[in-house]
Amino acid sequence: MKRTTSIGGWTICAAGIAAVLLSSGPVAAQNARNKGTPSYNPYPPGILPGDLNSELERVLREVDLVEGRALARWHALAASGVRGQPPTLQNTGTELIETLGELMNFDRNMSPNRNEACMSCHMPYSGFSGPIPSVNLTIIAYPGTAHFRVGKRVPQRHTYAPFFPVLQYNQTQGLFFGGNFFDSRATGFLLRNPDAEQAQGPPVDTQEMGFPDAACVAFRLTTAAYRPLFEQIWGAGSLNIKFPKSTEAICDTPGGASRFHGSATPIPLTAEDRIKANEVYGHWGQSIDSYEQSVQVSSFSSKFDAFLAGKYKMTADEMAGFKLFNGKGNCNSCHLDGRGTSMSGQDISVAAQVNPLFTCFGSANEGVPLNPRDAFYYQTTADSYGFIANPYGFGYRDLGLGTFLRSGFGSGPNPNSMWNKYAPTVDGQMQVSTARDVAMTPAQCPTTEAGSTPYFQKAFFHNGYIKSLKQLVHFYNTRDKYAYPVTSGHCPPGTIEKVTCWPMPEVKNNIDMTSGNLGLTDKEEDQIVAFLRTLTDGFTRPYPNMDTFTGKCMICDPAKDPNCSPSRQGNGSLIPTPPLPPCAAAICGVPPVPSSPIP
Amino acid sequence: MNTLQFKVAIGITIIGLLSSNPMRAQVSPTTPKAPSGRIIQGPGIETSKPFLTIIRWTTDNPGGSPEHYGVVHYGGDPKNLREIAKSPIRLNPDHASTVFRVRLDNLKPGTTYYYTVGSMEANGADDGTTSAVQKFTTSSEARTP
Repeated sequence: MKRTTSIGGWTICAAGIAAVLLSSGPVAAQNARNKGTPSYNPYPPGILPGDLNSELERVLREVDLVEGRALARWHALAASGVRGQPPTLQNTGTELIETLGELMNFDRNMSPNRNEACMSCHMPYSGFSGPIPSVNLTIIAYPGTAHFRVGKRVPQRHTYAPFFPVLQYNQTQGLFFGGNFFDSRATGFLLRNPDAEQAQGPPVDTQEMGFPDAACVAFRLTTAAYRPLFEQIWGAGSLNIKFPKSTEAICDTPGGASRFHGSATPIPLTAEDRIKANEVYGHWGQSIDSYEQSVQVSSFSSKFDAFLAGKYKMTADEMAGFKLFNGKGNCNSCHLDGRGTSMSGQDISVAAQVNPLFTCFGSANEGVPLNPRDAFYYQTTADSYGFIANPYGFGYRDLGLGTFLRSGFGSGPNPNSMWNKYAPTVDGQMQVSTARDVAMTPAQCPTTEAGSTPYFQKAFFHNGYIKSLKQLVHFYNTRDKYAYPVTSGHCPPGTIEKVTCWPMPEVKNNIDMTSGNLGLTDKEEDQIVAFLRTLTDGFTRPYPNMDTFTGKCMICDPAKDPNCSPSRQGNGSLIPTPPLPPCAAAICGVPPVPSSPIP
Repeated sequence: MNTLQFKVAIGITIIGLLSSNPMRAQVSPTTPKAPSGRIIQGPGIETSKPFLTIIRWTTDNPGGSPEHYGVVHYGGDPKNLREIAKSPIRLNPDHASTVFRVRLDNLKPGTTYYYTVGSMEANGADDGTTSAVQKFTTSSEARTP
């Protein structure tokens, strides 16, 4: 078996050399490209974290390291011959396509400035979510290839995303299931694979990797070191596209630039070559999906998996948390754990499956408050390319699935007009992410929770308002008990935001009322957190590339910092929400309009 | 079994697990509809604030679709409950009872409201559990802007 989770010395050596080779050229190229292009900085002082540039550079070095390891693994694989019909790469085909997906995911050249890979926002050590603690603490979304355009949501974990089905509306249940992204806009309608279509999003997202044309992916693949692997898998000649001379300059320019006049396909390809480029982009998504579904990413190797196999005995707190998760906490009504739910605390059900995914593939509006630290609200002016990310400023409201069904601002085209009428019933809903790996952190920062030990700051929910797992559970437990009609940063005197005060929801329509006043004690909240930690992969065998984190853990002193606790974590970074203008007509005025006005 | 064989065995096991169809077991099931439902606790006022009122009650598990709605018909005239509020909850198939909670936003302060509660499946099918008319009076405290 060629796949190993331990890297031999020769591999590290080869990876190191490859990383050096990879990192030297592109950085120089990036600097050259950025020369003379002023940074876009519409942000008030204090919005961007102070270490942003050095942290972005740090992550790029880590990305290059993993890319080097993947190159080494590819070169170490035995030759694979095509056999049979349908043609199959015998023996090593699976690992080859998974490796191709990994190489693509960690390829920084897949951005105009060659400074951003998919994994720049999704490193393994954070459960394939945001890798920069200071970003998770503040602006929550990650800068794109054009600094500093920034997205609007937390990078959603890639782990187990490939298991979501094609988005469907279940007529019997009256519910949407499946898709990828928080708003489910990667439906899988064409590739029949939402995760593959998710992988097609960021490369052409103006605030992420930022190509102006999806064909730029095919163009850059023609010069990729792993081009032979792509052609081995997807066919010789699959990248033979006649790109015009203007292609390089076009693909070096971030999407949304005024010079493109709104065109989504500025590369002038023939109809035949456009079809080829689109096919390549489909293969891009399918290859990345292969990697993300592999045991490299979705590995079912947690303590909980060992527990299900009878090979791990939970601690008393973990077991108590598990029972609360199923019972009083009611968490598994959405984060399905393959078992039933019992308010008595006694699990009387039969295990329904051996690999529960801790999601129901559905969506819900949990009533999360608007997070004024989200960098998206401040990108109201044009950058040097003439692009404006958010002309509505604080008039933007994230309606999630509702906006997608309307093909609305900030989402994608809805491929099924029959779904449009359901938009008012799902306004504010975001995808129920798997609870697996929610607590994953680098080994040197062993927890997500602030306190007496070094920790790795993460951000939870779509807008990163929640900063610790304790807060997350406390929110579900007390959202309605401590509800106040204020916005973040304006909790009344005598209350503490996120402890005894929850600001009003960003979207009050369709709020899920399963939770909000669960009656959990403080200890019970902690026990659920203890259980959530058992869902971190890497217990039964090493989790690949967990060793790549080279940043610093967060450290605070509970004796000196009142916010150095899981309950108040991040409160030192709260800022007062400005007076909110009404929801922009381009969002809340698109028919079918929300069932009740959204302030 | 040497290390390589062990890794192969583990790999095959994992691939087997992954290649099974997890979707069928993963999606919440639609459970058989309960033959008759009844309210076993409430309804009552869980939260009464100038900007938010939450009405809560508990029923036998009604069965049916995994998403349900608590529905409150309310108004100032007990014979004419013209307003409707509904809030979604997730049903637990193996749960003996189900808690419904419904939000009523921005009611008038110092006002007496009459209401009845009920519930339905996501497709609108009624659960057959309707309460008698109840009443409550909102706080006279001015709303916080």
